[in-house]
Amino acid sequence: MLKYLFKKESQVETLLYEYLEAFKMTQENFVNALNSCLLNGYLCKNFDFHIRQTHKYESKADDIREEINNLMYGKALIPESRGDVMELLEAIDSIPHIFEQTLYMIQLQKIITPEFMIDDLRELVRISLECCDLMLQQVVALLEKQTDIRSLMRKIDTNESHCDHYERKIKTKIFNSDIDPFERLQLKELVEEIGHISDKADRVSKLINIFSLKRRV
Amino acid sequence: MFSLLGGIFLGWSLGANDASNVFGTAVASKMLKFRTAALLASVFVILGALISGQAGIDTLSGLTRIDLEQAIISSVAAGLAVTFMTLLRLPVSTSQAVVGGIVGIGIINKQVNLGGLGKVMICWIGTPIGAMVLALFLYRLLGLIYNRLNLNMFKSDIVLRLCLIITGSYGAYALGANNVANVTAVFVGAGLLNVFSAAMIGGASIALGILTFSRPVMETVGEKLVKLDPFSALVVVLSLSVTMHIYTLVGVPVSSSQAVVGGVLGVGIVKGVNTVKAKTLLHILLGWLFTPVVSCLLALAIYFAVHLQYIPSG
Repeated sequence: MLKYLFKKESQVETLLYEYLEAFKMTQENFVNALNSCLLNGYLCKNFDFHIRQTHKYESKADDIREEINNLMYGKALIPESRGDVMELLEAIDSIPHIFEQTLYMIQLQKIITPEFMIDDLRELVRISLECCDLMLQQVVALLEKQTDIRSLMRKIDTNESHCDHYERKIKTKIFNSDIDPFERLQLKELVEEIGHISDKADRVSKLINIFSLKRRV
Repeated sequence: MFSLLGGIFLGWSLGANDASNVFGTAVASKMLKFRTAALLASVFVILGALISGQAGIDTLSGLTRIDLEQAIISSVAAGLAVTFMTLLRLPVSTSQAVVGGIVGIGIINKQVNLGGLGKVMICWIGTPIGAMVLALFLYRLLGLIYNRLNLNMFKSDIVLRLCLIITGSYGAYALGANNVANVTAVFVGAGLLNVFSAAMIGGASIALGILTFSRPVMETVGEKLVKLDPFSALVVVLSLSVTMHIYTLVGVPVSSSQAVVGGVLGVGIVKGVNTVKAKTLLHILLGWLFTPVVSCLLALAIYFAVHLQYIPSG
């Protein structure tokens, strides 16, 4: 009965879960692409395939977001929640975009990771993606039970600080190395782009915390 | 029937204006379609008038003895006072205008039920204060329950929306029960209608106002409440509805607009924010003071104008 009366809300809820699924797939393909090329030497096996897959799921996430926005303009949910859902999606959606941009950067600029930074870069990617996983858990918590949101936010915040630390560490190594100055700038840009992942996840996490607090009287 | 037109007009304008206090939040924020809100409000206004409207009709018709001509004069005076105060952009209470008109006629008849008038005036003071206290209490109580439920975003959304529809309908019931007396009580006093037909005609004319002309008011006046978060808006509408229902049981028509302001103030106190500007409060106070006085003076003026006679000299 309630599902029939609040059909649009139910649709939005289903679409949000589909969006999260598309996000996970984008993330998975991003990791596969990095592993196939950047982090495992210069083999670049299946790199293009993984880029295409990343792009496919990023576009799918965009389409779902568009569909959710259309439902919002069709007056699903109360105005306050409408604004919150749209702001949340906009914030999350910047992350798959970074995944895609990072891969395009590697592909287009033919970036090769020097040996001295591979371990740190791997760690940076691992912690950044952990931030994304925690962020997804936080979104589910907001949609389902509203518990653990603060503790997840604290974890993401800590991880984000670690990412900043690794980002600085790698950049120092890059500029202390004797590689070509142009390559240094390329690598710096790449590290900064990857570093943005945890920044954005942290921003989403703080937004979710605010949305959760807004729903307390 | 022709003599009832003044009352019907008053009921129509009351419906067009005051429905926004109960459903304005839901409609202005697009949580509810205007058509659904208007339909719900109309049905519940008529139900309220028929089931619980008698006490208010008895109180107002007992304020003074009145004949049909005087009933029409007091209705017209109230209608003009409402229009005049609206033109001055002062918040106006139809209940106060109607009582002012009746008291004007009472002065002419040299017969005012001071006990009844005192009861009405105490209730006028009590309306915003009562709604404010109720809002304070309801905000704390419902807030406790709402937090305990720990609802997620979607469930919270559905619960708030359903509660706004239910409290809006209850508010419409209370509005019909409380304010129907403003519309047709004078005609009961004049012996033109019995209580049931007065409740029926009064309720129907309020419903007509809601169905035909409340949309712009709901969409604009409602926005002042939309600025509150949905939970606070729900508390305001609920405190307005309960306040009006209590005064319905006491048998005194009161102003839904004043009850809303009381409710908004109450929520502001709990949240520690200024929900109503000092200038708005001053306007309300001026409207509160002037509406019955202007209506009373208009009733006296119309009565004298109607009874002016040309006496040729010599």
